[in-house]
Amino acid sequence: MLTYIARRLLYSLVVLIAASFLVFTFVSVSGDPLAALRVTPNVHPDIIERIAERKHLNEPIVARYWYWVKDAFTNKFGTTLLGDRPILPDLWRVMKNTLQLVIAAELIALTLGIGIGVYSALRQYSFFDYTGTTFSFLGLAIPVFWFALMLQVGVVKIYEWTGHRIFPIANLSDVDPGSGIHFVTDRIHHLILPVLVLMIVNMATYSRFMRASMLEVLNSDYVRTGRAKGLPERKVIMRHAFRNALITIVTLSALSWGGLLSGAIITETVFSLDGMGLYFVNSLLSNDPYPVMAFLMITASSIVFFNLVADVLYGVLDPRIRYD
Amino acid sequence: MRKSSLLALVGAFAVAASLVIGPAASAKPAKVNQATAGTVVIIHDQEPPTMRGSWEDNNLLATGLVTNNIWYGCEIYNNFAKFVPRLCAAKPKIVKRSPLTIRFTYKKSAVWSDGKPITAKDYRATWKVFTNPHNNVVSRTGWEDIRAVRGTGKTVTVVFKKPFADWESYVAGGVYPAHIIAGKDMNQMFQSSIPVSSGPWKFQSWQKGTQITLVKNTRFHAWKPMRFDRVVFRYILDTNARFQALRAGEGQAMQSQPQLQIADFLKDRKFVVERKPDIAYEHVDLQFGAKGHPALKKTFIRRAIATGINRQQIADALYRTISPGLPALNSLIYKPFEAGYVNYWGKQYPFNQARVINILKANGCTGGPDRPSASNNDIFSCPSVGKLSFRFFTTTGNQLRALAFEIMQRQLKSVGIELQARFQTGGVLFGTTLPSSDWDLIMFTYGQTPTSKITAKDLYACGGDQNYSLWCNKKASALLNKVPLTLSAAARTKLLHAAESQYIVKAVPSIPLYSRPAFTIHSRTLRGPVVNPTTEGMPWNVSDWTS
Repeated sequence: MLTYIARRLLYSLVVLIAASFLVFTFVSVSGDPLAALRVTPNVHPDIIERIAERKHLNEPIVARYWYWVKDAFTNKFGTTLLGDRPILPDLWRVMKNTLQLVIAAELIALTLGIGIGVYSALRQYSFFDYTGTTFSFLGLAIPVFWFALMLQVGVVKIYEWTGHRIFPIANLSDVDPGSGIHFVTDRIHHLILPVLVLMIVNMATYSRFMRASMLEVLNSDYVRTGRAKGLPERKVIMRHAFRNALITIVTLSALSWGGLLSGAIITETVFSLDGMGLYFVNSLLSNDPYPVMAFLMITASSIVFFNLVADVLYGVLDPRIRYD
Repeated sequence: MRKSSLLALVGAFAVAASLVIGPAASAKPAKVNQATAGTVVIIHDQEPPTMRGSWEDNNLLATGLVTNNIWYGCEIYNNFAKFVPRLCAAKPKIVKRSPLTIRFTYKKSAVWSDGKPITAKDYRATWKVFTNPHNNVVSRTGWEDIRAVRGTGKTVTVVFKKPFADWESYVAGGVYPAHIIAGKDMNQMFQSSIPVSSGPWKFQSWQKGTQITLVKNTRFHAWKPMRFDRVVFRYILDTNARFQALRAGEGQAMQSQPQLQIADFLKDRKFVVERKPDIAYEHVDLQFGAKGHPALKKTFIRRAIATGINRQQIADALYRTISPGLPALNSLIYKPFEAGYVNYWGKQYPFNQARVINILKANGCTGGPDRPSASNNDIFSCPSVGKLSFRFFTTTGNQLRALAFEIMQRQLKSVGIELQARFQTGGVLFGTTLPSSDWDLIMFTYGQTPTSKITAKDLYACGGDQNYSLWCNKKASALLNKVPLTLSAAARTKLLHAAESQYIVKAVPSIPLYSRPAFTIHSRTLRGPVVNPTTEGMPWNVSDWTS
């Protein structure tokens, strides 16, 4: 197992280096970070040239990539191309905000998805099962951005009819969020709609997988044996069937956790949440590769790590799986 | 299901519901569209990267909206794009023409929020900031033309190295506090906060990614003080979310780009929409360089293109719902609300499709239609330049621009001229394509200031810094190059009119389309906001705002 993990980490390093170079290249050639300055009145070409020289923008891509690598390791991901603003403090701030959002969404999606899936399997072909199936497909089919917009429109309509704004439309906090418990409740209030948007798809996925996994396990020999031995039904379900059915969900969830830090780009953009997704969008719009690269390295590392965790967990949970 | 399981499920649901209902129920019911007492919330799209405007990373309107009322000027632009005194007792005056010497006096009541008076020392310190080569300012133009700044008290005397027509822009603006910036590295100053203010509000806090809070500057007495205790800028990037947030009462005012969503607010009696032509204008440049289509070097073809575009129809189609009656722009130098605006282009190139065909045929072009026709597919070819099929560049992702292109494409196709779409992101278009002059026609907006006409040479003179069309007419250049050195406004107007009427209009290096309308939307309970088409933006008269 240790050899397997070491080998996977080595491969991951190669993947990260290749991904970083490709992304750096594509972002660098996709636009000029000095574009806005070129059409600004009274900006002398000398000023533009001075910035380009200071930031090595006239050098080949490989050289510029090397400058980035140096900055990333010796200067905490470096500074922005224009203005020399340190990247790490901003990244740390948005990471905390994104984690609040996506962890809440993931935990709720897992809890509800597993619960719905288990009960649907136990009551197969019941009204609950059919309803769960229908809403799962609906959840999988709904585009995230559309759902987010519809929620905002709904809140506005209710506000116009009643004068009460039941949920905020955007941002992470009120004008005066307060402190202590008031700050916490204000933050929860602002996260309700974005969490709802994010969890719908994942909840649908988990409930479908859990249902299928439970049905497969419930029809297995050892479950039949347990029942034949006279074990209470609850024990058969929770101790034997449920635990074995959970293997698929655990590995699925481990993979999902890997992608958490990439944020929810669309959700954060629609709700204007100061998170990794919006940070990424703003960096792309300004054609500045440094913040984009910082974002990439964190999210790619997270995905690689959790992929490894998922594979290892699978081997731990299922004794039939062994890695060399 | 067992009863206990059901109870557990209900209990879990109740806990979850309390997390939803609790905060919602405890939220104060907001009265429809009413500003919270003492606070007005302005919703905006772009958040400033730092509090340090005029730096290479921060040449944004978004920053100016926050800092213009902090770094308050001797004068500011009013809503008619005219300078009006604020911190100065009177308008700055020319006391000597050679060398150009300007004098102005700060009011006795003009003080910083920490109590220190605003004096000539602050102006001198600001001049040194902009001329220090170590500082990464976005432009030194104007500042580097100042030879000396004299005075230590309230009266400032500025001596220029040479005649400089745009001097008022450089004496009118806000200054930095000399006592705060002394000995400091300006590249590190004012990144996230500003400790003092000379204007009606001062910086309080910045919750990055969400809002900037400004509070009333109680030491500001040089002009009318602000009536609100607090102004909060809330940043919402997504266009739809911004308008929804305004509807939902999360803000009371917004300065908006032309967006189709504005049409809903025009019909909503809870809101007031103010609109006015902006200084920024949409236009189409034509390429004269070697990388452009050879046909564009022929004057008759450029004139045919100008005659074949119905600019008023484009303005109507784009802005019928949100700014009905927006006129086509008929000058490349003056805007409709400016004195000096003359209709050159409407008179020279009235839309006439039959005339386009006649012009082309009279010059030996063949293969095109005999009559204008919406279903025409025949494209003219002209002697020695080939088919009149041009690459048309503009930015992608902009609905209004895409529609403008489609209309132009159809109008010109009807008369045998073809436009091929080349939509690119802003970064590629302005960073690579435009400066390379490897395009035939290119459409975008020029953001300008009221004094941009003084430096029209940058756009239209031979070798101008932003003359990416590569048009070069020595006589026009001679006129335009004189403008920045001409102190008399009347004389400058004469030079600019001569350049435009005698050369620019006839050569067609660029085709004006329309002045983009500027909008402010505010709740009806908020009184006072007025559109300001300059970089002052809507908070220019925040002292007059009430609820």
